[in-house]
Amino acid sequence: MADIRDLHLRVPSIQKDWRAFLASHGLSGFPDNEVAAVDSVIGLYDGGRLVGTGATAGNILKFIAVDEGDTPGAYFNQVVSELQNRLMAAGHTHMMVFTKPQYEASFHYVGFTTLAKTAVGVLLEAGMPTITQYLRGLPDAAAAAGQHLAAIVMNANPFTRGHRYLVEKAAAENDAVDVFVVSTDRSLFTSAERLQLVQTGLADLQNVRVFPGGDYMVSYATFPAYFLHAGDDVIRYQTTIDARLFRDWVAPTLHITKRYVGEEPRSHTTAIYNTVLAAELPPAVQLVVVPRLTAAGTVVTATQVRQAIADQDLASVRAFLPPTTWSFIQSHEAALLQRIEKGQTIRGN
Amino acid sequence: MAIKKTALAGTLESSDIQITLAPAASGGIQIDLDSAVASQYGDQIKKVITAALQGLGITDALVKAVDKGALDCVIKARTIAAGQRALEQTEPAWEVL
Repeated sequence: MADIRDLHLRVPSIQKDWRAFLASHGLSGFPDNEVAAVDSVIGLYDGGRLVGTGATAGNILKFIAVDEGDTPGAYFNQVVSELQNRLMAAGHTHMMVFTKPQYEASFHYVGFTTLAKTAVGVLLEAGMPTITQYLRGLPDAAAAAGQHLAAIVMNANPFTRGHRYLVEKAAAENDAVDVFVVSTDRSLFTSAERLQLVQTGLADLQNVRVFPGGDYMVSYATFPAYFLHAGDDVIRYQTTIDARLFRDWVAPTLHITKRYVGEEPRSHTTAIYNTVLAAELPPAVQLVVVPRLTAAGTVVTATQVRQAIADQDLASVRAFLPPTTWSFIQSHEAALLQRIEKGQTIRGN
Repeated sequence: MAIKKTALAGTLESSDIQITLAPAASGGIQIDLDSAVASQYGDQIKKVITAALQGLGITDALVKAVDKGALDCVIKARTIAAGQRALEQTEPAWEVL
């Protein structure tokens, strides 16, 4: 009977053995910041020998590798169920894993469901709520019969008149609009602040509903490169997963037929995302690319708003902001500045 | 009685079963079962799970069961453990056992 032990990667010799074991299973070359971000790492030992490993980071299972063993799948099942028990004990009742296509069947065998896949990777989930339960649980999110429903996914860091312009256009051209605000908390404005600013900034539009995007829409699980710097190949692969998840689960469950995005002149990552959405969504979902709103002779972007906060030059972006966001920033200027000073990046997203 | 929180019990090892329970406002006990022997024993497994939950007074729940060939006594024990965790009960429910 194999037994589970905690692996303390801060001990150099333990980390060295662990990396060697992963390398022997074809997992290598991951950056130090990815290793540093894990919450817990376990090793499976059989007769004193390391035969399997796995880790958790947030609600994500990572770095899973196991030897074959005498009973096929036994080591794998033991590692996965230990990780699931740990996540559940930590309050993560919904869990996800990114893996290579050849391991998809192994995860299916232990109750995982595939959310999206490409030639190089698969995203699966387990636990509850499942994606179907999450989507069905959004009050009134689904289109009524005969309705044309559009969707917009935004980080809104923070909500600007540019975001508002995009929503107004979608609201005018469709019966209803579902706005999903990115839930991952890695931006200058917290997810609660971003959601609240979107809600208050759109409160007067009767046919617009605002929801948190959960784990499914541009989340740290589906699209980490949105939050961490990565190469173009990685961005293309992750955005493909994100686009397919939207196309295959979110759109059909909620009867969404159109997705609106802002044209992207500035952010390289978001520009790739828009290209991938255009390639993946049709014909099931129509993609509508809306040119950016301009104010004071320049396109409105949240990036410039964050820069103005860092430069303590709020007046320069006043024209970009709806009254609700403007008053929030004014009353929280010191706190926002403090976050930037503490190392919160204002570049990227 | 409806449950308060999502809970899990059991493992994915051979001869065990992993039970996850989540709150449901209505709809009774809804079981999603993954098992290699579902076609032979699926109904029996669901019956044992349902009876164990009813024994705890749970009337509505979403259940995910990943079976690895568990015997009825194991299914019952894992279901009771998950149920008590979901109800945040720490005392063993002796009368159910």
